[in-house]
Amino acid sequence: MLIETEGLCKRFGSFYALKDINFKIAEGEIHGLVGENGAGKSTFIKILTGVYPKTDGRILISGKEVEIADPVESRRAGISVIHQDRNLVPSFSGVENIYLGMDTPKRHGVSIDFKSMRKNIESVMEAYGITLPLDKMASELSPSQKTMLEIVRSVMNNSKLLILDEPTASLTDKESAKLFSLIRKINADGTAILYVSHRLEEIFGLTERITVFKNGQLVDTVNTSAIDQGGLVRLMTDNWVSRERDRSHSSSGREVFRVEHLSTSDGIVKDVSFTAHSGEIMGLFGLGGSGRTESLEALYGLREKSGGKIIYNGSPFDKPSPAKCIKNGIVLVHEDRRGHSLVVSRSLKDNIVLSSIDGYVKHGLYDVKGERADAEEKIQQMSIQCQGMNQSVGELSGGNQQKAVFARALMTKPELFLCDEPTQAVDVKTRQEIHDLLRKCASEGSAVVYVTSDLKEMLEVADSITVISNGKTWERLENRNLTSEQVLGYCYRDR
Amino acid sequence: MEKRKTDFRAIVRAYGTIFALVFVIVIFGILNPRAFLSTTNFWNITRQMAILCIISLGATLIMSVEEFDLSVGNIASFSGVLSALLAISGMPFLPALLLSIVLSAVVGFVNGFIVTRFRVMSFIVTLAMGQVIYGITYWLSDGAIVFNGIPGSFKVLGTGKFGPVPYLTVLMLFAIIVFQYLMTRTAMGRKLYAIGGNETASRVAGIRVNAYKTIAFTISGAMAGFAGVLLASRIGSASPTGGDAYMLNSYATIFIGKTLFREGIPNVLGTVVGVALFTILANGLTIMQVPTFVQNIVTGVIIVFAVVFQKMGSGRND
Repeated sequence: MLIETEGLCKRFGSFYALKDINFKIAEGEIHGLVGENGAGKSTFIKILTGVYPKTDGRILISGKEVEIADPVESRRAGISVIHQDRNLVPSFSGVENIYLGMDTPKRHGVSIDFKSMRKNIESVMEAYGITLPLDKMASELSPSQKTMLEIVRSVMNNSKLLILDEPTASLTDKESAKLFSLIRKINADGTAILYVSHRLEEIFGLTERITVFKNGQLVDTVNTSAIDQGGLVRLMTDNWVSRERDRSHSSSGREVFRVEHLSTSDGIVKDVSFTAHSGEIMGLFGLGGSGRTESLEALYGLREKSGGKIIYNGSPFDKPSPAKCIKNGIVLVHEDRRGHSLVVSRSLKDNIVLSSIDGYVKHGLYDVKGERADAEEKIQQMSIQCQGMNQSVGELSGGNQQKAVFARALMTKPELFLCDEPTQAVDVKTRQEIHDLLRKCASEGSAVVYVTSDLKEMLEVADSITVISNGKTWERLENRNLTSEQVLGYCYRDR
Repeated sequence: MEKRKTDFRAIVRAYGTIFALVFVIVIFGILNPRAFLSTTNFWNITRQMAILCIISLGATLIMSVEEFDLSVGNIASFSGVLSALLAISGMPFLPALLLSIVLSAVVGFVNGFIVTRFRVMSFIVTLAMGQVIYGITYWLSDGAIVFNGIPGSFKVLGTGKFGPVPYLTVLMLFAIIVFQYLMTRTAMGRKLYAIGGNETASRVAGIRVNAYKTIAFTISGAMAGFAGVLLASRIGSASPTGGDAYMLNSYATIFIGKTLFREGIPNVLGTVVGVALFTILANGLTIMQVPTFVQNIVTGVIIVFAVVFQKMGSGRND
């Protein structure tokens, strides 16, 4: 066995995040790790990579017991990790990032030898067929390029185990496919892979064995060929019933929101037009870099608009700002949950009422009781798992954090939801709950604009789909007997 | 074993500053009970606290939105000189006070406007603005201390008392109550803290971040201006550099305050404790006739300890 854990435990206070984990991964294996949010996957990875100390138990690498006290030791032991929110210095070039924390070749024993660093990197990239602009700063790279950069780094580090934590969360299907073939190549050269993902198709397509975590415990390790998706979901969750989409809802109502020929100053959004009606979920589908997120940001006033018309409830709404949007019943659920949605250091309650603070000022006094009551009601309504409304929102699991974001959105009684990847990195159950919630809001008269890069989800959720590619939208497609090939057909064509 | 260690850390972190305050009081009380523990000295300390406290309260707002206003010291000097000159020219005290505060608020507003409109670092903008203000102050005062011809009425607010209670003490208490209310019981306080926690998320949530930051800068400027007038009124003269030292001290008190009550977050009561610690230390050391340079060393060491204690225990689980 390459890595084994025996009775591994991690306790935070009196709460067991991990209990008695007996995990094994063999040399050269591709091993999947699945579980709902909060099941303990991230904690497990953090222990293997030396971010958290373990509370109890043993870790063995190639049969020898080791202590992994910090990330440097983990790396020396041959473990590399690629996190969903990557680990690069934004202002460093590709070369500098790859050599971060590694011994750099020196000239005359002193000055850094950038030439030979570059040569080493290029030979690795060539061996794996990777092309990357090494001179660009990491902040200028696309998510896919950043992932590739980290993979090159782990290869340079001679890793025996490469851990990938939701690596495809912000990649398009095409980029993901490229990533998978790269993973297989690295694996063929003898590196074991631990692949963590919510996307079960990827797990089935890639892995040889799958380990399932639930509530901090290891439920089972199974051979991938011996189980199907339904069986795996049953291992992961206690009570989750997969449901067919209810297509019997009423047809869409009046036009709430119309966008005509929207463009942005940075040139990313070129010509976006669509309409959203009361009662419907309008899907805006595009591949990574197509301008879907940027369109929503421009409509919400977060990105400078250079042209186009916005009509909201029949009147022009041409100079949007977040404050103006919230006031008029438009809310954005941003794809970047921790950066753009949550004040991570503040409490769950503070985050839920963040958009509606002004509503609690009565006769110059602040209605603390009303605020608490509203937060409590939303926590119940959304069934947010927490230790209480004063718990810091950063301590909640991803799914519960996203529920908090939606709770806040609901507080402003929106007529128009702009949702950007609202189910990104949340577990299947929460995902279903978010779909149900949006469907309910739509049936009560709101309009929903829904962005996801998961086409299967899009076809499940949306009533109509507008495809965006290269900053331009195509005509509206009614989601009746629509196939993924039809939608993708538009994505790869340039208008 | 591990648990007890964390408990100890938590206690040090939560109450360390209070222990330090009590410790300082006890030490001075033992060393010189007659002078230090007298009623007169108590009121004296509160009066000495007032000016630092008023500047620090304004700066606490700035720190709560994760910005800096390094011009507060220069604004205080400016406002002191301006009000003294106005008083000499024959303007009654109240209009001179109000005019100085308003002009200081304008400086704060300009700070806030530049920082938010052009998205530049407040650190450097306010440092530069401080230089501009210093230049203006120097120009107004010809580089000299202004004291000739200041009327007696100008000195009333800074030196007068209700019985044993100095006016300055009363003003300080009033300001503390107003700021505590502002930060904990108003919509604005919540928004400022939200902005400090995550500016981008606050903007997305519909909070007018630029407006509130600018308000914070304006209030900070006004408070510094107010403190500058009080300083001139208390000592009966105005130096073009009289308020400068308050800048560093006010930020030190806020950092000390961040260790208390709301961990890691600037808060009004914490700032007040920081001001008390600073002032009592200076007062006690002066009574003990310790040279000023030793006072500098001691206060510097205390700031370093405060920051270290704050990090203790919070370092691991993030």
